[in-house]
This record gives sequence, structure tokens and C-alpha cells, in this order.
Amino acid sequence: MRRFLKENSLSIVFLALFLAALVGQAIAGHADFNDNAVSHGDPTISLGRYVVSSDFGAAVMENWQSEYLQFTLFILLTVWLLQRGSPESKELDKAGRESDQSQKVGPYAQQNSPRWAKLGGIRRTLYENSLVLVMGTFWLGTWLAQSVTGTAQYNAEQLDHQQDPVGWSHYITTADFWESTLQNWQSEFLAVGSMAILAVYLRQRGSPESKPVGAPHGATGVEG
Amino acid sequence: MPVLCACLFALGLPACAADRERDAAAVAARFHAALEARDGEAACSELNPETASKLEQQEKKPCEDAVLALELPTGGTIADARVYVTSAFAQRAEGGTDFLDEGPDGWRISAAGCEPTAPSQPYDCELEN
Repeated sequence: MRRFLKENSLSIVFLALFLAALVGQAIAGHADFNDNAVSHGDPTISLGRYVVSSDFGAAVMENWQSEYLQFTLFILLTVWLLQRGSPESKELDKAGRESDQSQKVGPYAQQNSPRWAKLGGIRRTLYENSLVLVMGTFWLGTWLAQSVTGTAQYNAEQLDHQQDPVGWSHYITTADFWESTLQNWQSEFLAVGSMAILAVYLRQRGSPESKPVGAPHGATGVEG
Repeated sequence: MPVLCACLFALGLPACAADRERDAAAVAARFHAALEARDGEAACSELNPETASKLEQQEKKPCEDAVLALELPTGGTIADARVYVTSAFAQRAEGGTDFLDEGPDGWRISAAGCEPTAPSQPYDCELEN
């Protein structure tokens, strides 16, 4: 058990942080929702009702979709794009999908390689791209959920102001949808870009996200 | 897990929205039926407390008298009702729209006898908070 916890501590700690933050968001979001309701002379709702509301759903989904977009793009773009000196980049002569030999697929697969890496055809193509496919599906799924829950949230405000509700296809053309989408995207792109460039010059001893402390600034694709 | 949660928010909620739409429509129907029966007390019991209070202040008489003095549509049937978070609207087949809020005691009318004015503009309501 101790060994399991140690060997999986990164996933376990992040899962615990995620759940704690989600509970915190639900409590704070519920309080904020009811504060707004009181100031508008509307009735308040219970925490249980709030966490299944489109209001909470939209707040959660708009952040999830941007995180999955960030990782989908990062995984995909780092196949071809480089950053000299960054541990987030591949070595400068390795841009592209690389050879079967270096990727250890097909005839170059090792005995302990995943089964689908040893095969050819559609199964290997799927497995070769499985990380982007799954992360990309999560991104599109959560973005769709953001648009659906956002439509309900937007329409609740429309009705509060005695205005007609709008359909989903209209909502995704509104400034409200794109403002909530792009405000999340810009922060993710900034964070990834900052990490790629700061890691050229700065170090964190012991972290695989950093180069070794003594590695030269020009060393690319080296992890500590 | 994200896809599961996305489905919960995206697909699960509209499924239970149908029940809530029926509840909101029933409140609006009872309100207009009470007006038709000239039962001001029953009509006021379907109003949001804020709306009833504002009506009393404006008309300077009890809600059950004030609500009957307004030119609100009476009777009829609800042709369409839609629910979003804790807000809803109900449209009468004979014309006129009501807006509702959901509170601890269920749906209550916050604005009634509303007619559209212009596209993207608020409705003009005979009764509102």
C-alpha cells in the first residue's frame, strides 16, 4: 500500500487537490449565486440544487475545456514546433513524427511494448495518436457542455430581465460565450508559452519539468 | 470522467427540466384561473413575495384586491413553458407571457401579463417586481 501510494503520489495528490478545489468552488459559487439572487430580489437555492444547476456546470466546464485544449494543443504542436533551450521542446533535429525505429513501433517494437504498437494498420494509427485523440475528445465534450450549460445560464439572465430566451445555435454566436471561452484560452496559452521560455533560463532542482541545474541554456530537450 | 460529467450537465439536466417546466406551467395556469374566478387570494398565492409586496405598495391596497384591479389576462391555457436554472417563462395560447422564479416553495410568478415590445428588448408587463 505504501509503495503504491509512493509510486502514484503525483496522480493521487492532484486528484485530491482537484476534489478539494471543486468542493471549494461549489461552496463559494453557491454563496455568490445566492448573494446575487438576494440583490435582485430573487429566491435563494440550496447547495444541492446549485451543484446540479447550469450555473455551476458552466463555471466548471469553461475551465475544464480550456485545460484540455491546452494539453491537446501542447501535445500536438510539440510534435513539429521547437523551442531552443527548452526542456518542453524536442531536440532541434527531431521535429516531426519521427521514424518507426525511434518510436519503437511495428518491427522495431520491443518485447514489452504495448500490443497495439507492435501491430500495423488502423489499430497502430489509433494508438500512435491515442493521447491527442482522448484529450481532444475531452476538450470538445467539455466545450460542448460549456455551450449547453452556458445557454441555460444566459437564458436565466434573459428571463430575469423579461427578455426572450435564445437557442443554442444563437448562444454560440454571442459575445457572452466567446468572452467566457477566450478568457480561459488566453490564460492557458500564456501559461504554456511562459513555461516553454522560462524553462530555458530558470531551473527547479529535481523536477523533470526543468533541465538539470547545471545544464547550459542552449541545451534543448533535456529533462532533469 | 470529464465526458461523463459533460453528459451529466449537458444531457441530464434537460431530462429533468421537463418536470420543472410542467410545474412552472401549472403555477401560471392556476394564476390565470384564479383571476378568471375573481379569487384574488388564490392569485396572490402564486406570486413571488417581492412582486406581491411591490404591487401592494404601488396600488396601496392588499394584494388580493390589487391583483384583480390590474388588466391581466384571465383563464386560458399555457401553450409553452421553458425553464433555465431558477427562472422560467410561460406563454398563454391566447397571448401574454408570465415570468417565474423558483424558490424553496417552488415556482412563483415574478412578472405577468407581459407582451413583447421589440426584438432583443424586455417585454412590457402589466405586473412585475
